[in-house]
Amino acid sequence: MSQGAGTQDTDDSDPDEGDADYGNAILSGVEAHVVKREEYRCLDAEQVLERQREAVRGVTQVLQVTQDDATQLLRAFKWNVNRVNDEWFGDEEGIREKVGLESSSSAPDEASGMVDDGAEVTCSVCYDEFPASKHTHVGCGHNFCATCWSGYLENAVSDGPSVLDLRCPQEGCKRRVPEPMAKRYLKGESAERLDVFKWRSWVDDNPRVKWCTGAGCEVAVLCHGDRGEGPVDVHCGCGASFCWSCQEDAHRPVDCETVKKWLVKNSAESENMNWILANTKPCPACKRPIEKNLGCMHMVCSQCKFEFCWMCCGKWSEHGERTGGYYACNKYSQSREKEGASEEEKRRAAAKQSLERYTHYYERWAAHGASQTKAAKDLAEMREAKILRLGDLQNTPVSQLKFVLEAMEQIAECRRVLKWTYGYGYYWMEEDGLRKKFFEFIQGDAESTLELLTEAVEKDLEEFFTEEKSLADFADFRGRLTGLTTTVKKYFTTMVTELEEGLPGVGSEVVRAVSLEATPAAEEPPKLRRSARLA
Amino acid sequence: MSDQAVLLLRKQLKELSRNPIEGFSAGLIDDSNVFEWEIMIMGPPDTMYEGGFFRANMVFPKDYPNNPPSVRFVSEMWHPNVYNDGKVCISILHSPGDDPLGYEQANERWSPVQTVETIMLSIISMLSSPNDESPANIDAAKQFREDLPGFRKKVSQCVRKSQEM
Repeated sequence: MSQGAGTQDTDDSDPDEGDADYGNAILSGVEAHVVKREEYRCLDAEQVLERQREAVRGVTQVLQVTQDDATQLLRAFKWNVNRVNDEWFGDEEGIREKVGLESSSSAPDEASGMVDDGAEVTCSVCYDEFPASKHTHVGCGHNFCATCWSGYLENAVSDGPSVLDLRCPQEGCKRRVPEPMAKRYLKGESAERLDVFKWRSWVDDNPRVKWCTGAGCEVAVLCHGDRGEGPVDVHCGCGASFCWSCQEDAHRPVDCETVKKWLVKNSAESENMNWILANTKPCPACKRPIEKNLGCMHMVCSQCKFEFCWMCCGKWSEHGERTGGYYACNKYSQSREKEGASEEEKRRAAAKQSLERYTHYYERWAAHGASQTKAAKDLAEMREAKILRLGDLQNTPVSQLKFVLEAMEQIAECRRVLKWTYGYGYYWMEEDGLRKKFFEFIQGDAESTLELLTEAVEKDLEEFFTEEKSLADFADFRGRLTGLTTTVKKYFTTMVTELEEGLPGVGSEVVRAVSLEATPAAEEPPKLRRSARLA
Repeated sequence: MSDQAVLLLRKQLKELSRNPIEGFSAGLIDDSNVFEWEIMIMGPPDTMYEGGFFRANMVFPKDYPNNPPSVRFVSEMWHPNVYNDGKVCISILHSPGDDPLGYEQANERWSPVQTVETIMLSIISMLSSPNDESPANIDAAKQFREDLPGFRKKVSQCVRKSQEM
C-alpha cells in the first residue's frame, strides 16, 4: 500500500486526520480521478488489525474484561465502542448472558456440576472417563475430553466464521468457547483460519467498513459516512473501482437507485440487445466487417481507409472540432414520427420509439463500458512492461514517464463517467427541452474532449515506440499530453458535480446563450467554456 | 476422526441392545457397516400413529458426532415434518451452521452430546405433536391444519400398511 508511512491511523473521530493520505491508494500515487476521494480510506490487513486492536484495547480498559471478551462484545455491537459501553453499563448481566460470557458473580449457578480438578469424569460425547481440569470445560462445568473438544472445534472451524460464536457442546448451555480454549485444541491450519476469521470480523461485522470488490483483493474500505445513502466511488490500489454504498461498478454522477434500475433493465432487455453486443460493424463504405480494437470512436477502415465514427457510422469529417463539424453522436432525436397515423400505427410507433430510445442510450453506455475495459487493460500493460521500453527508447527514466500513466488513468476514469452519463440521460432527461439540450451539449463536449486525449495516447504515443524521434519532439509531446490530461480532468470533475446537483441554473438566459454559441469554431482548443459561464 | 465415530457408534449400539429403550429398537442394516442403522419405531400410544411399526434408516456421517445423522422413513409416512421421500426434518438433526436465517435457536440444533437415544426420543415426540410451523411436507401440514379428519384417515392408512410389512 502507498499509505503515508507512520500515519496516525487510529482515531476515527477526527475528520481532519492526515489529509495528505486520504484514499491515496493508487500504487503509483497518481491523482487522476475526477471525483472527490476524501470520503473513504483504504486499509490493508496490517491497518485493519491495528484498528481492531485499538478498539479492543479501549473496551478492555474501560470494562475490565479480557481481550477475548472485549472482542466478542465489540462484534455483538458491530464494533461500535460507544454502544458497547452504553449497553454494558445499562445491563451488564444481560449482556454477559446474551454474548455468552462468564457471569460476573464468580460463584456460578451451575456450581452443582462443577468438580475439582483431577476428579474422574465422563465425557458426555464419547462416554470415556478422563480427569477433569480447567481445560475440559468453559467455566460451566460441562466437561468433555480433549479428543471430543478438538473434533468439535475442528468441525466448527470448517463451518466458517460462525466458530467465533461457538457455544459449549452441552445442550442448552449458552457459554461461549473463548479463544484461548479454542486455540488450545486447534492445530496448524485450523488455528490460522480462526485468526483469519477474527481479523476479518472487524470488517464483516462493521457497517462502516466493506471489502474491496476486486478479485483476491484484501483491502478494507472505511467510509466516513456523512453522505448517508449517496454513491461513494472507491478506487482501490488493486485497480478495482466500485461504489461503496451499493457495491456495483463505480457510477458517479448517477445515484445508486438509478444504477440498479438501469442494470435490471439491461438484463431484462438483453435479448433485444444481443445484436448490439456483437463486436463488429460493417464498414459504412466497403461493408467489410470491422472490429473495434481501440478505445477511440474514430475508426479507419484498414482496407478502404474510410474514416468514420463508431457510434453513428457517419463520416468522421463531419465530427469533431478540428474540421469545424459538429459532434452530434450523443444526440437522440425524437423527431421521426409524424402526424396522420392510425391508433394502431401510433401505438406501434410508440413502442418502437421507446425501444429505439433505450437502444440509443444502451449502445452508448455499452460502448463506453467496453472502452473503459480496454483503457484499464492498456493501462495495466503500460504500467507492467511498455513503460520500460518507452524509457529505453527515449532515454528517459521511468519515474519521469508518470505523465503517460496519468493520462491513461484519466482516460479509463472518464470512460466510466461517460458511460454512466448515458444511464443518467435515460432516466433524468426524458423530456425534450433546454435541460436535455444542455445535458447533451456538455456530454458531447466531454466526449470530444476525451477523444483528443485518447487519440494522443493511442496514436501519437505509439509513434514514439516505432520511430526515432528527437528529444525535443518528446518534450513537446509531454507538454501536450500533460496539458490535455489536466484539461480533461477539470472538465469531468465539474461535469460530475453539476450533474449530481441536477444542473442548477439550467433554463435561465445564461444557458440559452451557451446553447446558441455551442457550435464550436474551427481550430478552437477544448476549454472550460461551460463552467466559466455558469459560475 | 472416523475412528472415534466407529467406537462411539459401537458403544451406543451395545448399550441399546443391553438396555433397550421403550418405543423403538435399533440394529445395523449390514453388520460390517456401523454407519447405517435400521430403526423400528412404535407409534406412540394415544396418538394417531398408535399401533404402527414404522421402519426407518439412520445414516451417520464419518465425522459423527460432530455432525448429525440423517433419518429417513422406509415405511410410508404422512406427517408435516417428514418429506415425501421419508426424510425426517427436525431441528436437532440440523448442523449448527445450517441455518443462516436463524429460525432455530442454536441450542435446538445438533450438538455432539446428542445420541441415537435422544434423536429417537425427539422423533417419537414429533409423532405425538406435529409442528406445522416449519413443514417439510406442505400438503400434510395444510391438511393437518384445515382437515383433521382427512389427515387422521391418511395416517391410519400408513399405520395399517406398516403392520402388514
